[in-house]
Amino acid sequence: MADRLAKRVLLIGWDAADWKVITPLLDAGKMPALEFFINHGVMGNLATLRPILSPMLWNSIATGKYPDKHGIWGFTEPDPHSGGVRLVTSTSRKVKAIWNILTQKGFKTHQVGWFASHPAEPIHGISVSDHFQVATGPVNEPWPMAAGTVHPESLAETFAKLRMHPGEVTADMLLPFIPRLNEIDLEKDKRPNIAAKNLAETAGIHNAATWILENQEWDFLAAYYIGIDHFSHGFANFHPPKLEGVPDEMFELYREVLEGAYRFHDLLLARLLELAGPETTFILMSDHGFHSDHLRPRAIPKEPAGPAIQHRPTGVFAMMGPGIRQDQRIYGARLLDITPTILTLFGLPVGEDMDGKVLLQVFEEPPAVEKISSWEEVPGPCGMHPEDMRVDAETSKAVLDQFIALGYVEAPDENKQKAVAVSLREQKYNLGRVYLYSRRAVQAIPLLKEIAEGNPEEKRYAVHLALSYSQCGRHKEARAVLESLTSAREDQRALADWLRGEFHFAEDNPEAALEALGRAEQLDPLLPDLHIRIGQTHFRKRRIAEAERAFLKALAADPDSPLAHMWMARVSLQQKRNREAAEEALTAVGLEHDLPIGHFCLGIALARLRHFQRAIQAFETALSLAPRFELAHRWLLRLHSLPGGDRKRARQHAAWLAEFGRDDRKAAKARTS
Amino acid sequence: MITVVSGLPRSGTSLTMRMLAAGGLTPLTDGLRLANEDNPRGYYEWEPIKQLPANPALIAQAEGKVVKVISSLLLSLPLNYEYRVVFLRRPISQVVASQAAMILRETGSPPKLGAAAMQSALEAHLHGVVSWLRARPSIAVHWVDYAALVGRPLDHARAIAAFLGGGLDVNAMAGQADASLHRNR
Repeated sequence: MADRLAKRVLLIGWDAADWKVITPLLDAGKMPALEFFINHGVMGNLATLRPILSPMLWNSIATGKYPDKHGIWGFTEPDPHSGGVRLVTSTSRKVKAIWNILTQKGFKTHQVGWFASHPAEPIHGISVSDHFQVATGPVNEPWPMAAGTVHPESLAETFAKLRMHPGEVTADMLLPFIPRLNEIDLEKDKRPNIAAKNLAETAGIHNAATWILENQEWDFLAAYYIGIDHFSHGFANFHPPKLEGVPDEMFELYREVLEGAYRFHDLLLARLLELAGPETTFILMSDHGFHSDHLRPRAIPKEPAGPAIQHRPTGVFAMMGPGIRQDQRIYGARLLDITPTILTLFGLPVGEDMDGKVLLQVFEEPPAVEKISSWEEVPGPCGMHPEDMRVDAETSKAVLDQFIALGYVEAPDENKQKAVAVSLREQKYNLGRVYLYSRRAVQAIPLLKEIAEGNPEEKRYAVHLALSYSQCGRHKEARAVLESLTSAREDQRALADWLRGEFHFAEDNPEAALEALGRAEQLDPLLPDLHIRIGQTHFRKRRIAEAERAFLKALAADPDSPLAHMWMARVSLQQKRNREAAEEALTAVGLEHDLPIGHFCLGIALARLRHFQRAIQAFETALSLAPRFELAHRWLLRLHSLPGGDRKRARQHAAWLAEFGRDDRKAAKARTS
Repeated sequence: MITVVSGLPRSGTSLTMRMLAAGGLTPLTDGLRLANEDNPRGYYEWEPIKQLPANPALIAQAEGKVVKVISSLLLSLPLNYEYRVVFLRRPISQVVASQAAMILRETGSPPKLGAAAMQSALEAHLHGVVSWLRARPSIAVHWVDYAALVGRPLDHARAIAAFLGGGLDVNAMAGQADASLHRNR
């Protein structure tokens, strides 16, 4: 076992927290606890996963694995007891979360409020499920705590008293969020009630977390606060600068709510820092950001999880504690990296089946990382529910259907049946998108094909099927799917034209590509990455100046677009502006680590600037993401062949290149025959 | 105190209800589900129990009585009452066969899911319910093997009566068990 690097770890989850909102507040001295945190630790962006849906993301954070492995595929699942649907549960998670692994190794481990944590798991410590803080009725009615909300159950009554009902939130409590509350007719405008609910639920979670810190021994505590996400969905459109279409009066009434939510969370953070103490290693993070500027969507799609369109793909990450670098910015963190990093803090090996890596850049002295093939193979009690309780949704539904047929259980009404069908379909859609966005489109195709063909009215399924075909190079099938999109909604037609542009691009028909992309721009000028595609098309035709103009447009639309920065790096390299290229590439990979070409560009720029060791590191990172990246191998062969270079490594890259050549010839022969 | 008879559908819950009624407990039933070929002596069911997930408070009506709560509904019991659960176990393959025969008779079609798939689904479901019960020490459970109950009704009537605190007519209870109903193996 490696050395334990942390005495205790406190993982704080702020759903949807975003540096774009936080930074001006820090600059104005309005978040002093977080200011202290980042001055004494590291901070950076945290790249999310797609689809950007919180239950899937928080379970990837807790397991270090993509959702296809952990089994949480959306917000809801069929409920075998009611015949309807319910929020996703802990029994649907197929693999160990960090608190299960730590339980297995004997650490005193607690979790509060994590997404999909109901029923509470029997871990070696306290588990408070995500049903805990949600009031079930008016304030004057009993608020019983459902079975399975708290483990151990003997503490259920203690924790019940820590909850706060929205009805207990007084006008005085709301004034910091809504200073002109007394001007609002609460019969007509329910927004203050939403704020009260968010405030009460956040307070409940915080009370549970602080009770544990004050009353229990602990090695690890994960506390999940959903408040910022809920405040953002309710009030981000009123956050300055004023969004076009928002009435002046509404803007003035609610412009301070989001700021108030962040400042409230800063107060809670201060208390957590105080209670946990300086010997603790703290991680503060969000699963994604939230659009709060000109990129705020103009409308919410009327589809399941439609509000997720407001999520921004970049979350926040900060870490502080003994042995952690101070006042440093770090790059390349992904939410999949949290669990591997925590395991390393506890001196435990990282599962080779985990998709994340240890964030070595946060440590003053990077530790050696130990590996284990899989924590799933380690036998013994780990605080998960028994395997037979973890029944998949399809099996549950089969049992329920049989009991209904036998007359023992009430058949759900039509609405419930429809809800179950939609829930199962959305799970397939989400899983398909997991495969698509993790570059495994071949696995996405059967799932998306099934739901797209069965539900032709849902154009989004067809769009993602077309994207999957496109990723696999099956352009003909992608085009056929696109033909069905002519009557689609405007935003989907824009996406279809964007895709058509991509096909023309793939077929080396730049003029047709630019025409299709131009149509898409007219329909939806804010379409993500549109200007990047336009620039890319110009770049291919060596029209570098036009390409640069398009990439600058993309950056004007979204200064945090990793792809736009990556392409600016390529443009700069083309024009021998190597220092600029290095900076752009570094920004790109800082925003999104999984950009092999970004690391590659960085490598070229650094090599040209004669920073050979750093260039080698950049090329190696590119290869870790794309092992058959031939040009990266060629650069490494070249760099290792320089005087004083590593001849052994040079020979290794030469051997790989020869092997790729053999494979290519074999593939070409197979195609010919 | 509420006495609950539970288990998978077709695992012997109706027989157990009848035994307890004969022994002296008051069954909560409404007689809406009539006896038929599948249950010639009646189901001893209470139709509103199907609403338990949506309205857990209705269990209050079973206070001081015995009520049949099928396995999938058990998890909806509110925990602010005291329960004694008599839980019936029967080999899953027999349960699947019996359920299939009943569905065929009632609908004219076989079940949607094949026997092997249903067996595995029911095993998973049953284990989930059993785990739920075992995790709740406040709920007293008496496990009864259906074949043994039919084979040695007096022994089991005594054991059930003892679990429920005595005072039941064990001979009348045993008299309800009829081996001829133990079919669909």
